[in-house]
Amino acid sequence: MIFETIKIAFQSLYSNKLRTLLSMLGIIIGVSAVIAVVSIASGSQAQITSQISDLGSNLINISPGVSRGWGGSISRSSTDLFTLQLGEEIEKNSPHVKRVVPTGSAGGLFIKGNNNFRANVVGTEEDYQAINKYYPAQGIFFTDYDVKNSTNVIVLGSDLIAELFPESDPVGQNIKYNINNRTHIFKVIGVMENKGRGITGNLNGQAYIPITTFMNKISNSNYVSNFVAQANSSETANQALDEIKYLLDNYISENDEYNIFSQDQLLTTINDATNTMKLMIIGIAAISLLVGGIGIMNIMLVSVTERTREIGIRKALGAKKKDILFQFLIESLTLSSVGGIIGIIVGGLAAYFIAQVGGWPFIMSISIIALAFSFSLVVGMFFGIYPAYRASKLDPVDALSYE
Amino acid sequence: MFKEGQIISQDLLWEVTKVIKVKDISKIYENGKIEVEAVKGVSFEIDEGELVSIMGPSGSGKSTLMHILGCLDKATSGYYSLNKQDISKATEKELAEIRNKDVGFVFQQFNLLGRSTVLHNVEMPLIYSGMSKKERIERSKDLLVKVGLGHRMDHYPNEISGGQKQRVAVARALANNPSLILADEPTGNLDTKTGEEIMDLLQKLNDQGHTIILVTHEDNIAAYAERTIKLVDGRIKEDVPA
Repeated sequence: MIFETIKIAFQSLYSNKLRTLLSMLGIIIGVSAVIAVVSIASGSQAQITSQISDLGSNLINISPGVSRGWGGSISRSSTDLFTLQLGEEIEKNSPHVKRVVPTGSAGGLFIKGNNNFRANVVGTEEDYQAINKYYPAQGIFFTDYDVKNSTNVIVLGSDLIAELFPESDPVGQNIKYNINNRTHIFKVIGVMENKGRGITGNLNGQAYIPITTFMNKISNSNYVSNFVAQANSSETANQALDEIKYLLDNYISENDEYNIFSQDQLLTTINDATNTMKLMIIGIAAISLLVGGIGIMNIMLVSVTERTREIGIRKALGAKKKDILFQFLIESLTLSSVGGIIGIIVGGLAAYFIAQVGGWPFIMSISIIALAFSFSLVVGMFFGIYPAYRASKLDPVDALSYE
Repeated sequence: MFKEGQIISQDLLWEVTKVIKVKDISKIYENGKIEVEAVKGVSFEIDEGELVSIMGPSGSGKSTLMHILGCLDKATSGYYSLNKQDISKATEKELAEIRNKDVGFVFQQFNLLGRSTVLHNVEMPLIYSGMSKKERIERSKDLLVKVGLGHRMDHYPNEISGGQKQRVAVARALANNPSLILADEPTGNLDTKTGEEIMDLLQKLNDQGHTIILVTHEDNIAAYAERTIKLVDGRIKEDVPA
């Protein structure tokens, strides 16, 4: 009996293909939006999470902030407090901090022979390798000696090699770096390993020089752009964060601001933002499902009217109220569940292709498929019950004489 | 569903051979403030195996009477029993079950389900009575062979002629082996020759013992019946055996 009813439902939906498709459209759009958004969000979230935890969850970023001018005072940046000395203070006075690395960066043009390439140069220290778990694949990284003496040595990110040294071995060669209309000559001492795009940007597309060389010769200032502190372990990251804050609050005057965040906080912030976005789009999709449900109700009411005579015939042949109710309910459920299945397929394909383009893993959880599908069933049930009820209570005599 | 005690009304003792017993039934329609009495105190009985025609001009109440006899509608007052079941007291659900098992309809408009095959149309009453798929397909096929449509089972109603459609309807009416076959103008949409063929088929079924009520306004169709009940203005004008 139930299979017969489902078969009848399919037949009647099949005989009105275009109408069936149109009435399913709302459900299809709603379900596919939910599936696609959740999948895309989960995929990109998973990628960001893995990138951040790749860097280590014990990293803390400290950068100067801009203080607002309150009540007549002038707004100013606290950049001029970020001296190399500040880094040393932090490292010395915070027991849970293992090391602090200063960085400063500037964009310019690298020239080698006839090749040139626009890229950032990052001034830093030897420990930069340990903090980012990022090491040279060829040659060496610069040492404390280079930092102390502001030597003109450079370590290139792997992207630069292809552009500047397409054929020859870069290590030991000189390279020109043009910034602010001044040209500096660096000796290439190493080439970094290939490391994917991280949260700190594309590491492969940068070059690394000693921080003092950067400050004395390129930025011509006593200040660094920011510090990256590494806590002893992930567990002590929050304690380290508090120590650094305490120190900075004493070191920096009240009106000056700084930004400090740990990888953990960054991760939480990103996840929160993604989840908010996800919820928002699911909310919009839910409206689409609601509209889809109304569409189904509309088409079912039309169908009941069109098939009044059929209902009369069925009643004359012995169909009970519940048989008719069931038949039309099955029909609306079929409509919404087929819509749901199409939506899942469309949403899944969309998410898959977007994941391919975006370069993150394609994640599709069974629970979200089950949720989307059962939601479309609920919609079919909720909006199908009234038309089905109307059909079931038709009077057999009236229904049989309906033209 | 029906216990013996329920079925037999205290004041009307059942005579075993009576399939239909109608006593003083009336039907009043309320049309806004105006009440229309379509059937006014009609009484008659029909024996098992009878072929009775109900005749009357339009507006005579014969359609209303047919709806009541077919359990599609209930009388406003009076007593009606079909196959020992007191229809006057049946609930809507019980009426559906009686229509399913005790009444076979043959309509003027054929009333086949256009989206279902001939075989599936005949199966329909058996689906509602809960027969297993294997059994009902077997039974439907037998019935279609019986009405001479063994070769059209997989066709759809729009692929067969009017006479064939009515044969399908007859097969469908026979599906649950009902105590009453109710034919409402069965030849109304057919040409004379096919009409006669359908009447011969009904005649044959009657000879096999089926009780049949023919609702018609054509004398030559009514002539097939052994007995004719003539309705005029909601009342029985004459009830004559042929």
